[in-house]
Amino acid sequence: MATGPARTWRKPPFIASPWLRFALTVAVLGYLGWALATLPFDWGRISEGLPRAARIFGGGFPPSFERLELLATGFKESFQIALLATLLGVLLSIPFAVMAARNISPRPVYLVGRAVIIVSRSFHPVIVAILFVKAVGFGPLAGILTLTLYSIGFVGKLLAEEIEEIDWGQVEAMRSVGAGFLATLTYAVFPQILPRQIGLSMYQLDSNLRASAVVGIVGAGGIGSTLMNAFGRYDYDFAFAILLVIIAVILISEGVSGWVRKRVW
Amino acid sequence: MLEISQLVKRYGRHEPVLKELDLSVEGNSVVSIVGASGAGKSTLLRCINRLIEPTSGSIKLNGCELSTLRGQALRQSRRRIGMVFQGFNLIDRLTVMENVLAGRLGYVSFYQAWRRRFPQADIERAFELMERVGIAHYANKRADELSGGERQRVGVVRALMQEPDILLADEPTASLDPVTSEQIMKLMQTLASELSLPVLINIHNVAQARAYTERIVGLRHGRMIFDGPPERFDKAALEEVYGGIEAPDESVAPSVGEEQA
Amino acid sequence: MVTSKEPVASRVWVRYDSRERWTRLAVLLLVTAVLVWAARDVDIFWPWVWDAPAQIHSLGERMWPPDPSRLGEIVDAMIETVHIATLATFLTVFAALPVSYISAQNTTPNRACLWLGRFILVASRSVNTIIWALLFVAIFGPGVLAGILAIMCRSIGFVGKLMGEAIEEIDRRPVEAMEATGASRPKVILYAVVPQVMPAFFAVVILRWDINIRESTVLGLVGAGGIGVILQGAIDTFAWPTVATILCAIILLVVLGEAITGVLRRRVL
Repeated sequence: MATGPARTWRKPPFIASPWLRFALTVAVLGYLGWALATLPFDWGRISEGLPRAARIFGGGFPPSFERLELLATGFKESFQIALLATLLGVLLSIPFAVMAARNISPRPVYLVGRAVIIVSRSFHPVIVAILFVKAVGFGPLAGILTLTLYSIGFVGKLLAEEIEEIDWGQVEAMRSVGAGFLATLTYAVFPQILPRQIGLSMYQLDSNLRASAVVGIVGAGGIGSTLMNAFGRYDYDFAFAILLVIIAVILISEGVSGWVRKRVW
Repeated sequence: MLEISQLVKRYGRHEPVLKELDLSVEGNSVVSIVGASGAGKSTLLRCINRLIEPTSGSIKLNGCELSTLRGQALRQSRRRIGMVFQGFNLIDRLTVMENVLAGRLGYVSFYQAWRRRFPQADIERAFELMERVGIAHYANKRADELSGGERQRVGVVRALMQEPDILLADEPTASLDPVTSEQIMKLMQTLASELSLPVLINIHNVAQARAYTERIVGLRHGRMIFDGPPERFDKAALEEVYGGIEAPDESVAPSVGEEQA
Repeated sequence: MVTSKEPVASRVWVRYDSRERWTRLAVLLLVTAVLVWAARDVDIFWPWVWDAPAQIHSLGERMWPPDPSRLGEIVDAMIETVHIATLATFLTVFAALPVSYISAQNTTPNRACLWLGRFILVASRSVNTIIWALLFVAIFGPGVLAGILAIMCRSIGFVGKLMGEAIEEIDRRPVEAMEATGASRPKVILYAVVPQVMPAFFAVVILRWDINIRESTVLGLVGAGGIGVILQGAIDTFAWPTVATILCAIILLVVLGEAITGVLRRRVL
C-alpha cells in the first residue's frame, strides 16, 4: 500500500494549453456579446409578436381545404417542375461529373468541371430562382431552370466523387483491349456508378420536390406561389392547409424514394 | 453472504431459463458457475444485480432482499455488487482513470461526476488498486489503447472501486488469450482473498474453474445439478453438466509463469 | 476444348432474361409517359423557352461589370448574416439535444415522448427555412429575430435527427456497466452515452453551421434580415451591377465558410 504524499489527478483537458482555453472562452463570450449587441432588434415590434402569433394561429386553425382545386393545381405544377428538373439535371450532371473526376479528365477540363459544380452549389436555389424569374419571366420555366442547376450541383458533385472511387482495374482492362474513350466510359465506368446514380436521382427528385415548394415563393411556379398568395391575403387557414399537405407530400416522397432505393440497390 | 432461493426467470411463455434455483455463498469463497451455453449462467448473475428482472424468487445479500427494490434503493444495492464483464464494457473514449473512477458513480453527486471532481480518498484508492494490478502507468491513456488483458484489469479495478460486498464476473476471460486469461483468474483469486470478498465467476474453462476456485456449481438447462469442491468435479459430473449439449473447454494455458498477476 | 454437346449457334447470351426485360420495358414506358405528360402539361409558354438563353445572356450583360459602390453596406450585411447563422446554430444545440434524447429509442423515457420527439423532428425538417421565416416575419415583424428563429426551427430537425440516430447506434455495453455500478440515469448518460456520441455531435453541428450560412443569405428576401434584404432591394430597383457584387460576396462567404469548416473538422475530429 502506498504511504507517500497524496496523489491528485485531474482529467486531461480537451485543449491542453490553459492560455488557449482561456483565450477561446473569452473569444466565444466576446463574440456572443458583440453579436447580440450589434444586431438590430426592433423590440417594439417584437413585443407585439405574441398577440399577433395568437391571432395568426387562431386564424389558421382549423386548416381550410375549401380551395382544394387551387391546392391541387399548385402541387401538380410542383411535381412537374421537380420531375423535369431532375431529368434534365441528372442527364446534364453526367458530363459535368465526368469532367470533374480527377482520375478521368485532364487537369484543365477537371478545373472547369469543378468550377461549374461549385458555382451551382454556392447559391441558394431561391436566389437563382429570382434571377431566372427576372430573365425568363414568372412561372414554372424559371423553376425548372433553377432546380436543374441545383441538381447539377448536387448530383454532379456526388457523382464525381463516385467516379473518383471506382475500381481502376476495370478501366485498365477496357483500355488494354483497345477501347476508345466512350467505350471505356460505357463499359468500365458507368456500370460501376449506375446503381448509385439511380439512388442519387431518386434522392434528388425528393430534394427537388421540397425545393419546388420554396422557389414558388419568389414566383417560379408551384405550390410556393399558392402559399405566398395565401400569406399575402392573410388567408392563414388556407396557408396552414397548404403547409400540412406539403409536410404530408414530403413524408410520402421520402418514404417512396427510400423504398425505391432499397429495391434498386 | 448471498442467499438465492427459488429463483425463476421466464421470458414470455417459453420454458423458464432459470428453474427454482437455490444457491448460498458464504464468507469469502470463490465460486465458479459452469454449464453449457444457454444453461442460464449469465441470466443468474444478472438477476442478482437486477440487470435482468427475476420472474419470481428471492435474492438476499447480507440479509437484505434485493428482488423487490426499486429506484434509489435498487441503485444503492447495486453499489454493493461489483460486476466484471466478458466484453470488458469499458468506455472506450475515456481515460483509464475515468473508467476506474466510474466505479464510484453510485457514491458521488452529478456535479462531481460531470466535472470529474472525485473525493481525494477515491483517487488514492484508484491509484492503489491500479498499482496493485499493474496498470497505474496507463492512468491517462484512452481505454481503447490497451490490450485485452489490460482492459479486463481496468474492469476489475472499476468493480473493486465500488467497495462491493460481492463480486460477480460474467465469463471474464472468454475474450482473452489463454495466458492472459490465467493471469486474470489468478488476479481475481488473490484479490478475493486479500479483500475478503466472495466472488461468483461464470466460466467456460473447466480447467481454470478447477485451478482457481474452491467451489464449482454446475447448471444445466436452468437447474443446479452439481455443487461441490473441484476434487469432486470428475468426468461423470462433467458429463452430467455438458453431456449431449456441447464439449466443455478443458484447455490449459502453456506454462504460465509465477509472475505477480 | 468445347465439351458441351450443344451446337454453338443455339447457345445464346442475353443480358436480361425475358421477364426482366418486360419489367424494365414497363418501368421505362411508365417513366417516359410521366415525363412526357409533365413536359406537355406544364404551364410553360414555349416561345419563352427558346428565348431563354438570349434573355439569360442579356441579364448577364446588365450585371457586368459588378458595382462596388455600396461595398460598406454589403460587408455590414454579410456580417449580420454570419451573426444570424452562428447565433441560431448555437441556440439550436440547446434545443436539439433534448429532442434527440427523447426521440432515440434506447433513451426515450416512454412512447409518448418518443412520438413527440419524432413529430417535432419531422415538422422541423419538412418545413423549409424560408417558410419558417415567412411565419416569423408575420409574427415578429421583419428583422433578424425572425431570421434567427427560422434557422433554429429548421436546424433543430437536422441536428436532432442525426444525433438521435447517433444515440441509437451506441454500444450498449458501457451503459450496462454503468447501471451495474448503481449510478443514476443522468450519470449513466453522462459517462456511457455522451462520450460515444461526441464525434458525431461535432461533425453534425459544424455541418449545420455551414448549411446555415448559406440559408441565412436568402432570409432577407422575405424580410428576415441579412444580406438578402439588400439583395432584394437591388433586384427591385434593377440595380444589376450591385446584384452582381452581392452575388460575388455571397460566393466568397460560402467558400470561406467551407474553408473554416474544413479546418474545424480536421482539428476537432
